Amino acid sequence: MTKHLRVIVGLALRNLQRHLRRTLLTASAMIAGSMLLIFSLSLGDGTHESWIDSGVRMGSGHVTVESPAFRTTQNIDARLSTAARQVAELALQNPLLSGDVSAVSSRMMVTGLASSAAGARPVKIMGVDPRSEAAFTTLNAQVVEGRYLEPDDRLAAFVGKQLVDSLDLRLGSRLVLNAQDVDNDIGGQLVRVVGIFQSGVPEIDQSLVHIPLSTAGEFLGSRDDVTTIGVLLNDSAAVPRVAQALRQALADPVAAGQVTVLNWREAMPELAAAVALDDFGNYLVFGILFIIIGFGIVNTVLMSVLHRHREFGVLQALGLTPGETGAVVLVEGLVMTAVSGLVGVALGLLCTWHFFGEGLDFTNLMGEEMTFSGVVIDPVIIPLFRVTRVVHVLLFILSIGAVSSVYPAIRAASIDVPTAMKFER
Amino acid sequence: MTDVTEPAVRTDDVWKIFSQEAEEVQAVRDVTVTIDRGEFTALAGPSGSGKTTLLNLIGGLTRPTRGRIWVAGQEVSTMSNQELARLRLDQIGFVFQAYNLLPVLTAMENAEFPMLLQGVEPEARKARIGELFARTGMAGLEDRRPGKLSGGQQQRVAVVRAVASRPALVLADEPTANLDTASSGALLDVMVELNRELGVTFVFATHDARVMERSRRLVRMVDGAIASDETQS
Repeated sequence: MTKHLRVIVGLALRNLQRHLRRTLLTASAMIAGSMLLIFSLSLGDGTHESWIDSGVRMGSGHVTVESPAFRTTQNIDARLSTAARQVAELALQNPLLSGDVSAVSSRMMVTGLASSAAGARPVKIMGVDPRSEAAFTTLNAQVVEGRYLEPDDRLAAFVGKQLVDSLDLRLGSRLVLNAQDVDNDIGGQLVRVVGIFQSGVPEIDQSLVHIPLSTAGEFLGSRDDVTTIGVLLNDSAAVPRVAQALRQALADPVAAGQVTVLNWREAMPELAAAVALDDFGNYLVFGILFIIIGFGIVNTVLMSVLHRHREFGVLQALGLTPGETGAVVLVEGLVMTAVSGLVGVALGLLCTWHFFGEGLDFTNLMGEEMTFSGVVIDPVIIPLFRVTRVVHVLLFILSIGAVSSVYPAIRAASIDVPTAMKFER
Repeated sequence: MTDVTEPAVRTDDVWKIFSQEAEEVQAVRDVTVTIDRGEFTALAGPSGSGKTTLLNLIGGLTRPTRGRIWVAGQEVSTMSNQELARLRLDQIGFVFQAYNLLPVLTAMENAEFPMLLQGVEPEARKARIGELFARTGMAGLEDRRPGKLSGGQQQRVAVVRAVASRPALVLADEPTANLDTASSGALLDVMVELNRELGVTFVFATHDARVMERSRRLVRMVDGAIASDETQS
């Protein structure tokens, strides 16, 4: 077959040109489908990246280093050793990884109680390095009153709006934080409210309190120890690489069961499920769309085969094998879908970039913000281009073309030549 | 392996039986015939006499129910599809009643198509087709698509396509049936000349009296069997 490949491809191209209108009509369906697919996937990826970014900033990052027991107990005893913390932080400064890393925040997180003259509420106390955390979280940009923590702060607290309301606090108010310390005693710390935030996520606004890490270390007796190291990346696609590098760097404590390295999917399974579900929905819709397009191709190519029985008979009489005759049809389908796919993807990228590069604003549909599972959904979705997506789309379209052309190709290959030569036009 | 001392075609007790609605039709019965190289032979007979089926059997387009067929010394009846395709490419040229040129190719491209499959160099292809087009009065029409050629011109291109790759024989099924008197006469002249001057072996299936008259050997078929086999002066 390879010997006659040039002839086969040449004939296929000529046949596509021969019925140019029919070819263009079928190709236009493929082009429109490819455009829609690339646009929708870019939008979907942008949406997911926005969800993930919001989720990981509110949570513990794209990659989290912590003790395996901490996730279930949230207990101060399940904190990282100083050595493990140093190894992890050193590994993240490696030039091979530092390009992927956007921010690193080492946190001491404990559950406790916040009390004021008005009452007490259960809270999540998070000791943070103000400078590192400011680069990590979005809370510092959601200040409604006051300011975020600063490096020189000591007895300062940054609290959510709903907690402020429920404890009847205001800027400068004092509140007492109580939590179990490293000696299993209940430690207490008086702090003053320096800033109030409103994230839009009720469970965060009513329970999260940021205090300086040094203050947490003093009142909990944990000094420089942390319970969690959160790593924020520039692109979630780098998660596997960074997580793997950290696992290698922390191989001994990981093997000993003292440390675990989690990606955001493991740390936030609800968000991962939401992304997977949304992806599945998209794939389902596009699967159906392309099955319909595939039937269109089958119909077009098959009709073309049925009208060309005599030609296929001639080709076999002149010396092409049945397989080579079928290959002419297969190549026609493949060339048409490949070219349509390329054009569709190029147009899809161009349209997405030209019209939606600044983002698609869904504010009118969903209001200012929406939340689910602790994630704030931004109403402005910025499409995300990924080369792998383009490759996937092209391969997908090509496989649709190949699958759709197989049956017509088999029909062309299996004709009875004498009967085909009698075929009446 | 081609053996030039072997006849162009040899059949031995060839039968072709078709099943039609639980009934068997003996399209070709007990045909034993030898056609030497350089012959200009007509298989004549009424419709349904089996002449087209015999051509298809010789050309490897269909397989015999029983019996054996050799083309240029190679046994056709036991070949695989790939081997048959190779045999048709190298040893057999076809001319069909309905011309059957490929509509997407020009006259030149149609004529050189078998040589293209054989891997003949472009210069050699052009030279050979150029010579044959000159002989057949097709010079100047090389770039025309079949749709822009008359029936007679299309059939000449088909004849050039059949002989250009220098096959052991050319099988022509009713080549003049769709042509007017002048065109069929001119086409016959071309084929006679190619037979005489280039030694091309022609085997026709025909019921055209003019073809029978010009053939040097006339094999008459009736009900699938050979009724007579005469050499004409």
